[in-house]
Amino acid sequence: MTQEEYAGRCTRFLNAQPHMMKLGIRLIQAEKGRAVLVLPVQPQLISPVLDTYLHGGVLTTLVDAASSVSTLCALDRFELCPTLDLRIDHMRTPAQSQPLYVSAECYRVTRSVLFTRASVYQDDPERPVAYAIATFMRPEGGSIESEFRRLIEGGDNATIA
Amino acid sequence: MQQLLELVRQAQESGDYQPLVDLIPYARVLGVQCECYGEEIIFRLPANPGNIGNPTIPAIHGGVIASFMELTALFQLTLQLSQPGLAKIIDFSLDYMRAGLDRDTFAICDVSRQGRRVGNCSVLAWQERKSKPIAQARAHFLLDAGTLMPVQR
Repeated sequence: MTQEEYAGRCTRFLNAQPHMMKLGIRLIQAEKGRAVLVLPVQPQLISPVLDTYLHGGVLTTLVDAASSVSTLCALDRFELCPTLDLRIDHMRTPAQSQPLYVSAECYRVTRSVLFTRASVYQDDPERPVAYAIATFMRPEGGSIESEFRRLIEGGDNATIA
Repeated sequence: MQQLLELVRQAQESGDYQPLVDLIPYARVLGVQCECYGEEIIFRLPANPGNIGNPTIPAIHGGVIASFMELTALFQLTLQLSQPGLAKIIDFSLDYMRAGLDRDTFAICDVSRQGRRVGNCSVLAWQERKSKPIAQARAHFLLDAGTLMPVQR
């Protein structure tokens, strides 16, 4: 698959999820086994009272989304893989004024399980805000809801929810 | 800091923790609610179309469930601290056990140890029945007075 094909699949996947649309989480880059997402600065996530950046949990949502998207870049066909386990280490407090980026990699694909790792950063990828590892279960026998697959794989009858 | 102190005091007096929860922007975006039953605080995430991840099932976004549980731990700890401030997350580890369907989700946090510097939390989330959890999580928070996030005004 080309980078454009991966990017199309990932973008359709994100756009099909109401919560991703609500937060404006979007794809920056996709390639084989890897995806970069961004969470833009937005008023609904900024507190007028607390002076420190308190995304309080939204970083977790971003990491979960990116790890999941990276699995789309590691599989030939779209498979809806539920998260089995997610672990996040928070290394520093992010700045309120800058977007959060997350680079996620699906580094191992087995018959049943996918393994991912991700790092969250702002201005410098070498100074991560957080690291995360996750595992995803592949559906048994590759069976998934065909309606959702059509939506993500695109094609003539693809419509974005 | 004064405002948070005041909010925590008011919450403990009145049993209404909602103003505290509403301090965190993302908790408001998700629609997190807080209900107090005696000594137990149960957090509720009402069904909300904006929280959906998979629209075909439909199911709540996995990240929403994770964040809801992280916020549950944060609030529970904040309410227990002798010196009010928001604890700072160190790490968060989550097991997803069942799909979170498009209905109300509940979470409860057990602070298994609250030391001088670190708080150890375990969080359980469920929908229909507590005996059938949709996820369980473990988290560590930094409680050092110097690192507690201060509040303006």
